Amino acid sequence: MPALLRRVGRLAVVLAVVTVITFLLVAALPGDVALDIAGADASAEDVAEIRAEIGLDRPLVVRYLDWVSGIVIGDWGQSWRTGERVWDAIVQRLPASLELMLLAQVVAVSLAIPAALLCARAPDGRVDRAIGFLAFGSVSMPSFMTAVLLILLFSLTLGWLPATGYEPLSAGLWENLRPMILPALSLGLVEWTALMRTLRAEMIGVLQENYIALARAKGMSDRRILVVHALRPSSFSMITLLGLQVGRLMGGSIIIEQIFGIPGVGRLLVTSVFSRDFMMIQGCVTFFALAYVLVNFCTDLAYARLDPRVRGFGGKAGAHG
Amino acid sequence: MSLLEVENAEVAFPTARGLLTAVDGVSLSVDEGRVLGIVGESGSGKSVLSRAVMGLLPRSARTGAGMRIRLGGRELGALSERELRRLRGREMAMVFQDPMTALNPVMTLGDQIGESLRLHLGMGRRQARDRSVELLAAVGLPQPATRVDQHPHQLSGGMRQRVAIAIALACDPRLLIADEPTTALDVTVQHGILELLKAQSRERGMAMILITHDLGVVAGRADEVAVMYAGRIVEQAPTRALFAAPSMPYTRGLLASIPRIEDAPGRRLEAIGGRPPDLVSPPPGCAFAPRCALASDLCRRQAPELTAGGATRFACWHPALEAAE
Amino acid sequence: MADVAAPLPKSGVAAVEARHAEAIAAHRRRRRLGPVFWIPAAWLVALILAAAAAPWLGLAPPDEIDWMAIQVPPGSEGHVLGTDVLGRDILSRLLHGARVSLTVGFAAPAIGVGIGLALGLAAGYFRGWVDEVVGVLIDAWLAIPGLAVLLLFSAVFGGSLSMVCLSLGLLFIPAAARITRAQTLSYANREFVLAARAMGASDARILLREVLPNIIWPLMAFVMIDIPIAIVIEGALSFLGLSVKAPTPSWGGMIAEGREHIEGASWISLIPTAAMFVTVLSFNLAGDVLRRRFADTREAAL
Repeated sequence: MPALLRRVGRLAVVLAVVTVITFLLVAALPGDVALDIAGADASAEDVAEIRAEIGLDRPLVVRYLDWVSGIVIGDWGQSWRTGERVWDAIVQRLPASLELMLLAQVVAVSLAIPAALLCARAPDGRVDRAIGFLAFGSVSMPSFMTAVLLILLFSLTLGWLPATGYEPLSAGLWENLRPMILPALSLGLVEWTALMRTLRAEMIGVLQENYIALARAKGMSDRRILVVHALRPSSFSMITLLGLQVGRLMGGSIIIEQIFGIPGVGRLLVTSVFSRDFMMIQGCVTFFALAYVLVNFCTDLAYARLDPRVRGFGGKAGAHG
Repeated sequence: MSLLEVENAEVAFPTARGLLTAVDGVSLSVDEGRVLGIVGESGSGKSVLSRAVMGLLPRSARTGAGMRIRLGGRELGALSERELRRLRGREMAMVFQDPMTALNPVMTLGDQIGESLRLHLGMGRRQARDRSVELLAAVGLPQPATRVDQHPHQLSGGMRQRVAIAIALACDPRLLIADEPTTALDVTVQHGILELLKAQSRERGMAMILITHDLGVVAGRADEVAVMYAGRIVEQAPTRALFAAPSMPYTRGLLASIPRIEDAPGRRLEAIGGRPPDLVSPPPGCAFAPRCALASDLCRRQAPELTAGGATRFACWHPALEAAE
Repeated sequence: MADVAAPLPKSGVAAVEARHAEAIAAHRRRRRLGPVFWIPAAWLVALILAAAAAPWLGLAPPDEIDWMAIQVPPGSEGHVLGTDVLGRDILSRLLHGARVSLTVGFAAPAIGVGIGLALGLAAGYFRGWVDEVVGVLIDAWLAIPGLAVLLLFSAVFGGSLSMVCLSLGLLFIPAAARITRAQTLSYANREFVLAARAMGASDARILLREVLPNIIWPLMAFVMIDIPIAIVIEGALSFLGLSVKAPTPSWGGMIAEGREHIEGASWISLIPTAAMFVTVLSFNLAGDVLRRRFADTREAAL
C-alpha cells in the first residue's frame, strides 16, 4: 500500500510539472491575443481593456496558479475565441478520437497476431524473414505517408472509401465506420510491427517450454498448439505494449485527424495552435498528458492482475513510476 | 511380435564444436504389457532415445537412415506427421521429468486432460470433463471434482506429476514412456508416483518404458532393464538377473553406488570415478574404458559389440561372470 | 529444413558431418555484411553526396517558378523528375529537401542523445534526489505528446532549420536518458570504478574515463535507430507546414503540396514519398545489420 501511495504521489508531481511546462510554452507564443480579439484598428485602451478582461495583465505565476486550481475543480477555462468551455469542447470531441485510436489498435492487433503466429512457427524460416521484411517496410512508412497513399488508392482511384469526413454513431454503424476505415488503417499499419515483434519473441520462448512439448506428445497439431496453448502465455508483453502504445497513438492521431478531417481532440489542438487560443491549447495538452499518465498507470496495475503467476505489486514498478 | 521395436537408432546434433552423437546404434524391443527400464547417467542418450520413439526430436536433430521404429508393426518413419500425431497421446504417451513446467500454466487441469479425450476419442465437453474427474481420482488426487477446474500453480509438484500421468493415461495408450518421472520430486513423493505407474501399467496391460538414472527406481518395477552409456546399450537383462549378476563393470559400479539400508552407518558411498565421455569426439574403443578398473589395451583400441540376442546381452571385453559381491 | 528431423541420404554419421560442415560455412557467411547492408548503404551514400553537392549540380534553383512549365511529368526535357504546380523542378527540390531531412536526421538525435547522456549519467551516478528530479522531469516530458510540443515550438520559435533540429532533439532526450541511466547504474558499482575512486579520481574523471566508454555502445545503437525516426517526424512536421519555412523545400512539404493535385499530377507527391520511404528503409535495414553484427562480436568478447 505505501508503494501505491508513493506512485500516486509521484504521478501528481509529474502532472504538475506537465502543467508548468505547458503553461510556459503557451505563454511564450508570439502574437498578442488581446490585439487579435480587439481587431487591427482598435485603440490602445480597448486592447488594454480586453487584456484585463481575459486576465493577461496579471503576472505569470498568478495566471498559472489560477489556471491550475481551476483544473483541479473541473474548470478548465474558456476559449477566448468561441467562448466555449474548454472542458466541454474536449469532451465533445473525445468520442471521435477514442474511436480512431480503438479502431487503429484493432487493425494493429488483427495484423500482429496472425503474423506473429506464422513467424514463431518456423523462426528464421522463409515466412519469418518475409514478414520481418514487411515489418521493416511498415516501420519506414510513417502514418501520414500511408494516409496519402491510401487516399490515392481507395478514394481517388477506386472511389470505394471517402477521403475525409466523420459521422457520429447516431447516423448508423456502417455510416460511422466507413469514413474511419482509412484513418484506422493509416495508424494501424504502423503500430502492428511493434506488437508483432513482441508477441513473436515471447512466443518463441514459450514454444520451448516443457508444457508445449507435452502438448506435442499428446498429439496436438501445430495450429492448435500455437493458438490454444502458446498464445495466452505469450501475450502478456504484447498486452502491456498495447497499453503503452496509447501514448504514441495520441500523437499519431493528431496528424491523422488533421488529414482526414476527423473532429477529434487532436484536430482541436492543431486548430487552437494556429489560432493562438491559449486556453484551449493548455487544456488539450494537459488532457493528452493526463490520459497518457493514467493509461500507463492502469496498464502497470493490470499487468499484475492479468498474469495469474504474478502476485503482489511492484512487478514493473521501475518502468514508469 | 513386440509392441515396440527399435532397430539401429542413431541420432546426432550439430553443435558449434562439431557433430554430437547422442544415440549410436541402439536396438531394443518392448512386449505388450511389459515394463522396460532404461538406466543411464545424464548424457547417456536415454532421453533422446525416448524423444526419437515419439517422433519429438528437435528440428536440428539428424537421424540415421538405417533407423527403424515400429509400433504394433507399423513403421513410424514411414508415417506422415499427421498420422504420427494421431498416434501420439493415443497409442503412445509420455510423462516428462519436470512437473513444475510440464503443465500449461494458464489452462485448467480438466482442460488439459480433456483435450486429448476430445481430440483423439471425439468426446463431448461434458463427457470429457466427467472422464477427467475419473482419471484424476484414478491417479490418486484428492477431491478430483474440485481440482478439475484448478490451475497447475495451485498444486504441489507431486500432485502435478499425477496430473501429468492422468493426461498420459487419458486415451488408454498401449505404450507409456516415463522420462525420469520422479527425478525432480522429493524422495517421499517418489515412491508414490512410481507405485502409481506400476499399478496403472498392470491394470491396463500397458507397456511402459521407465527411464531413470537411478537403478533403485527400476528394482521391483521393471521386468527388464537396459543400461545405456554414451549413446549405446551396454547391458540388458531381466531385472533380477541384472541385479544378481551384472556383467559389465559399469553396471556393477552403478549397483555399488546405491546406498542400502543394511549398510553400516558411515560407509562411504562408492562413486564411479571420472566423467562421461565427450560425445562429439569420443575416444576410440570402449567408451567406458577411461573410467574402468578392468580396462585393457583391447578395451581402449576396439569398442566391444553387444553380444547377440537372448534375454541377457552385454558389451564388454571383460565381463564378470560370477555373482556380484 | 524439414519440420520433422530429416533422414540422411547415406547411413552413418559421415554424411551427417558433411551436412554439418555446410551449416558451419553458412554461419560464417552470415557474419559478413551482405547485400542487405550494401544496397541500402549505397543509396544513402549517393543521397548524401547528391544532397551535399546540390547547389553545384547545375540544376534549376529549387524555388524558381516557371509559369511556362507547370505540372510537367517526369522524364520531360530539362526536368528529369518533372515540375510541380508552380513549375519548380522536382529533382532540385528533392535534393534540397534532402539536405533538410538529412541534417535534421543526424542533428536531432545527436542533440537528444547529448543532453540525455548528461542527464542519465548524473541520475545514474549520483542517485538520490538528482535521480528523482531527473526521473520526474523525464516522465513529464514523455507525457506531453511529441507532436504537441513540436507544434508549440514551431509556433513559438519560428521555422528555421536549427530550431527544428533543436526541438526534435528534445524529443529524444527521455529515451537516451533512460538508457544511459540504466547502463550507468550497472557500471557505476563495478570494482574498477571503486578502484578509480580509491586512487583519488574525481567524479567527473570517473564518469568520463571509466563509465562513459562502457556505455557508449548501446547509445550508438540507439542513435542509429533514431536517425530514421527523426527523418520521419520532420516529414510529418513539414507536412503540416511547421518545419522550415517556404521557399526552402522539404520532403513533407512537397508531399503536402502535391496532395491537392494528386489526381492529375500524382508524381508531385509520390516522388518525395518514395524518396523518404527508401531513405528511411535504408537507414533501418543498414542500421539493423550493423547492430546485429556488432552486438554479436561484442557479446562474444564479453
